[in-house]
Amino acid sequence: MSAPARQNAPVGRAVVWIHGDSLSPTDPALEAVPDAPALFVFDRPFLAKTEVAFPRLAFMYQGVRDIAAARSVEIVVGGIGEELAAFAQRHAATELHVTRNFTPQWEETLQDFERRNPNVEVLVYEPDRLTSYDGPVKRFFGFWKKVEAEVLGGNALYAPQRGQGRR
Amino acid sequence: MATTFIPGDLPDEQLAQVLGQTLAGLYTGPARLPDRPGGRTAALSALKDYSGKDYVGRNDLRGHVSRLSMYLRHGMLSIVEVAEHARARMRGRDLSEFLRQLTWREFFLLVLAQDGAKVLGNLEEPKYRARWTDALPDDVREARTGLPCADAWVTHLVQGGWMHNHERLWFSAYLIHWRKVDWRAGYRFFREHLLDGDIASNALSWQWVASTFSAKPYFMNQANIEKYSAGRWCNTCTVQCPFRGEYESIEGQLFGGPVNPAPMPPRGNDRRGGRR
Repeated sequence: MSAPARQNAPVGRAVVWIHGDSLSPTDPALEAVPDAPALFVFDRPFLAKTEVAFPRLAFMYQGVRDIAAARSVEIVVGGIGEELAAFAQRHAATELHVTRNFTPQWEETLQDFERRNPNVEVLVYEPDRLTSYDGPVKRFFGFWKKVEAEVLGGNALYAPQRGQGRR
Repeated sequence: MATTFIPGDLPDEQLAQVLGQTLAGLYTGPARLPDRPGGRTAALSALKDYSGKDYVGRNDLRGHVSRLSMYLRHGMLSIVEVAEHARARMRGRDLSEFLRQLTWREFFLLVLAQDGAKVLGNLEEPKYRARWTDALPDDVREARTGLPCADAWVTHLVQGGWMHNHERLWFSAYLIHWRKVDWRAGYRFFREHLLDGDIASNALSWQWVASTFSAKPYFMNQANIEKYSAGRWCNTCTVQCPFRGEYESIEGQLFGGPVNPAPMPPRGNDRRGGRR
């Protein structure tokens, strides 16, 4: 589903969604649109039904805080779907930039966002990968045999690329 | 419900109080700072300080492990920059073993990408006749099992938000195989407290111990704990040790006999898997 990276294309009113796997100023989506405002949501419905100790939340906050030191970040408490939609609306966004996350909830959230916001284009960036392997996986040993040379060699030929795709 | 905004510049001195009040009802335990600070700056500092020297002794609790997992989990460090740091700073078996362990992280993420929410249920049937209860026992949660080692593992988890990988394995085996508790209760307990708690590494490591994502269950014995902890608990322990014994006899006690790895039935896009 990845498309060729758009280079030198005019950027619309872009906003960035930062989630729990992208808490760094070097997050690919953040770096792609350095002037765009970003949103981090403490997921109220999830936290209301899931036991999470406070230090974990503080640790994440410290991650967002480092981003907020360098650019505009809004930190809110609420439902991610609602908050993302409201955030996009506040900024009259035409593009939502986000780095891929492998959790099932992430995919559902974006699908929900696209339904609610058909006029906002969603652009997904790939997180850094250690290997270029993209086939099926079952046991670590089998996986290791496939990627061992690449991981140990650190060969630049196989260096993962930061991609960007339209959904 | 009106949107609640949180300022992005709370200093650590105010963080616990302000964030704690704003998120009241949405977390467990006291509002306090994590043992290790989060954020890109702290992550880079931790990475810079890590030499990886003698990493090959990582199975020992005193081994020189990186403790970078919480930064990797939240994207505060990327897996590529950690690998590059290792290649620049480490040599020989320290380097190759570190990179191999780092690859587990990528492997678990690929399994999550492939199998999605299925990783939260048994990916395979357990390889022994398992009868697990659902709930985490209170004495485990409260670190009062009476076993000095097990209580210390829980204390490290709850107070520090981090456990050495060998402690995670021992604790998981203790909970699943000795206490007969479903791995998902352990998964939730780890998710609650581990600063590096995620879906992929957490759920799949539990399943690996439980034998629902491996060819046989993982278990240990007292000699293994004593060796890799340098006797820190065993030397002064006076309780009846449930882990004492040869592997064969423990296997009989826990699983009703040796668990022979059988060829795995195909699952999804079949790959011939290897055994660890």
